[in-house]
Amino acid sequence: MSTVRIVTDSTSDIPAELREQLGIEMIPLQVIFGSETFLDNVTLTPEQFYEKLQSATVMPTTSQPSPIQFMEAYERILNEQPGASIISMHLSAKFSGTYQSATIGASMLERDADISVYDSKSASYGIGMLVVRAAQLAQQGKSKAEILEDIEQMNEDKKLYFLVDTLEYLQKGGRIGRASALIGSILNIKPIMTIDSEGYVNVKDKVRGQKKAVARILELMERDFGKDPVDLTIAWTNVKDLAIELGELTKTNLNVRSVHHTWIGPVIGAHVGPGAAALFINRVRGSI
Amino acid sequence: MVNMGAERLHRNVEQVNALNVFPVPDGDTGTNMNLTMTSGVQELRSKPSLAVGKVAEALSKGLLMGARGNSGVILSQLFRGFSRSLAGQEEINSVQLAAAFQHGVDAAYKAVVKPVEGTILTVAKEAAKHAVTIARRTPDIVEFMSEVHDKANEALQRTPDLLPVLKQVGVVDSGGQGLVFIYEGFVQALNGQQEESSWLTAESAFPEFTSGNGAVKSAVAPQPSLQKTSAQSQLSTEAIEFLYDMEFFINRKLGGGNVVPFDEAAFKRNLAKDGDSILVIADDDIIKVHVHSRRPGDVFNYALPYGELTDMHILNMRDQHRDLLHEETPAQTVSVYNANPAEVELGKVVPEVLTGAPVDSLSAASAHEWAPFGIVGVAMGEGIKNIFLDNNVDVVLSGGQTMNPSTEDFMKAIESLAAEHIYLLPNNGNIILAAQQAAELSERSVTVIPTKTIPQGLAAVLAFRDEESATDNTEAMTQAAKQVRSGQVTHAVRDTSIDGIDIREGDFIGILEKSIVTSAPALSEACKELVARMMDEDGELVTILTGEQAELAETEALSDWIRTEYPDAELEVHVGGQPLYPYLFAVE
Repeated sequence: MSTVRIVTDSTSDIPAELREQLGIEMIPLQVIFGSETFLDNVTLTPEQFYEKLQSATVMPTTSQPSPIQFMEAYERILNEQPGASIISMHLSAKFSGTYQSATIGASMLERDADISVYDSKSASYGIGMLVVRAAQLAQQGKSKAEILEDIEQMNEDKKLYFLVDTLEYLQKGGRIGRASALIGSILNIKPIMTIDSEGYVNVKDKVRGQKKAVARILELMERDFGKDPVDLTIAWTNVKDLAIELGELTKTNLNVRSVHHTWIGPVIGAHVGPGAAALFINRVRGSI
Repeated sequence: MVNMGAERLHRNVEQVNALNVFPVPDGDTGTNMNLTMTSGVQELRSKPSLAVGKVAEALSKGLLMGARGNSGVILSQLFRGFSRSLAGQEEINSVQLAAAFQHGVDAAYKAVVKPVEGTILTVAKEAAKHAVTIARRTPDIVEFMSEVHDKANEALQRTPDLLPVLKQVGVVDSGGQGLVFIYEGFVQALNGQQEESSWLTAESAFPEFTSGNGAVKSAVAPQPSLQKTSAQSQLSTEAIEFLYDMEFFINRKLGGGNVVPFDEAAFKRNLAKDGDSILVIADDDIIKVHVHSRRPGDVFNYALPYGELTDMHILNMRDQHRDLLHEETPAQTVSVYNANPAEVELGKVVPEVLTGAPVDSLSAASAHEWAPFGIVGVAMGEGIKNIFLDNNVDVVLSGGQTMNPSTEDFMKAIESLAAEHIYLLPNNGNIILAAQQAAELSERSVTVIPTKTIPQGLAAVLAFRDEESATDNTEAMTQAAKQVRSGQVTHAVRDTSIDGIDIREGDFIGILEKSIVTSAPALSEACKELVARMMDEDGELVTILTGEQAELAETEALSDWIRTEYPDAELEVHVGGQPLYPYLFAVE
């Protein structure tokens, strides 16, 4: 039986401890402030990033890892465990060239290797939950095909909603399309955002005021999952309180089995802006 | 030679950056390519060798490690193929070099998931093709490289023809420009020219990199073909030379017996006299024409001899652009590349961005078709009008309690909209009937959402979703209008008694929906009483629209009172500008 190893990138926002425990390899993207370049979630922690963002005079930009970084990671894994299969799971190809870099990295390997590069069509813990699940299944000795099938189902079933303080960051980064043009700027309209099944950022709904936005998200999730047992992950930029409040409210409306917390890391944070918070939710999945 | 290529690129980083078409802060193709190239050169310097194969290998490895951004990745793949082709060689001639260029192009095309023409790929491809063609008869390596560079530059100048978004903004492709600079450096190096090369230190890596917001300066004198400032700002309204965007069909069958044989070349030449973005698709019966022209009348006259003209659409692009500039949101600026739907339909445009910014989900083909929905609203006051216009309302008719718009006013507004389905928001109980009558009389698909107040109208437009069906929108808008509580304050014009409330002339009366609920000599008192009635126990969001007669101090006092009295509710104050009613309130 061959081993399956999981590779992801830094935008999956998996807490380092969990990542290490599950043996997940992580390739960082880059965050660039003017002439300073940082490795996402490695040489720049989310706390440092949001602090830096407040005093920064230039807007940060971000950059995908180079193909060689992926190639080297794959090499390293294959040297450690010859014959291992690899699933490399990444940020939506609609947002970043990371997926392409990984694909090129895999094609550059000069030996036979069984690597599947998987476009999560998602971001942050929307990738993270799939990666964690995949790593758990790998630990249980499931095959690459079994794992891929399971995470694809999970991917289709999962939901994510996020709130941003302003659409400015998404618009400036070019990460949101036509929908945002329809949102007026005079009234304090809170768009409820999601990432659709194609991997694009979309406006799910728009309401006025923070309270209504929170209420609407709860309503949407109730409609999505009813009373099915769910796992919930809450992620925040620099608004931990809002995120925790969201999580608490969710518990009263839904059958929540577990709640996890994480940061929205620098690269994703650079594109959603400070003030953003996100909820990631999936039906509890049994063994396969 | 490689050093010189890197040097040329490095010196022109900002020029390449400025070519980015998309108004995004990471418009930094030049920086990405420069950092990629820098990494290549560093690797090369760390492994000095006289053997060409070894040099190319080191360069390739460095580039692969340093690849950033899409253009950087493509650059690294070009040189990866290039170096593989030269592996083991000590020296090379033109033929081998040409083959190496070709290998590079093959590798790059294979590596990129969706190759887009009109980019660095095209420039590399054309240059390599030319290199292979001339290699045998051009043994002199300097002459050879110089020709390859010229060809690359030629291909670069043609990139706008392949990628219409470049043409729109009037620039050549930024990644392609970066490659041309590198080739230019190769030529200079082979010619024995030297440039100061002190830049491979970390401090000088970003010489003039001022900011990431697109406001970068060009550090060098621009070449004639290039822009001095960033591409997006180049699209000034006046710069749209051929301002009438025309689209129509020539129906050959409907032209009677008099139609002359269609001479496509002559017709295109005529259009080109005063136009660009010309597209003519002819089949036996129908000719589709798209052109940006300065003289729309002439265009029709050229077309008339060939048949009857149908489905004629003309848009003034300066007008559209003024609107875009007015809005000043990047997302809307992006929609500039909607302006050429014909090319998009033909698959000529793959709106792929080479700066790392992705393509968004614009349905590019829809720009010239009718919009799915149009909304007509009624309002008094500049502020309220602007709020409606800011939230998807296309036409705001002036009117309210006293100046009701007529059925004809509605009819005219309906006719003015190129939309499949039109919603009317009367926003006043006295106007609903006129709107309904207009809906009946019109041959278009029109629905009246019977909104009786401005707050109801606002709630309705906020529930509107462009991507939903008409049925769903009607339902959502009607429901939303019912969810909001509307209040208004005005002064009484005579003494009376209604619903057990005694009203004196000059008093301020508070109206909740249709009923007078309070009357008081002081405006503040009437407002407080009205708001208290509106809040009940579950009001979460209070919106105040201030009228012409509202005074700042009064508004502030009222706001403070609401915040103190209802600490859990959110409060928003907007300038409405309506006459006669100092305050309108909405509670949701």
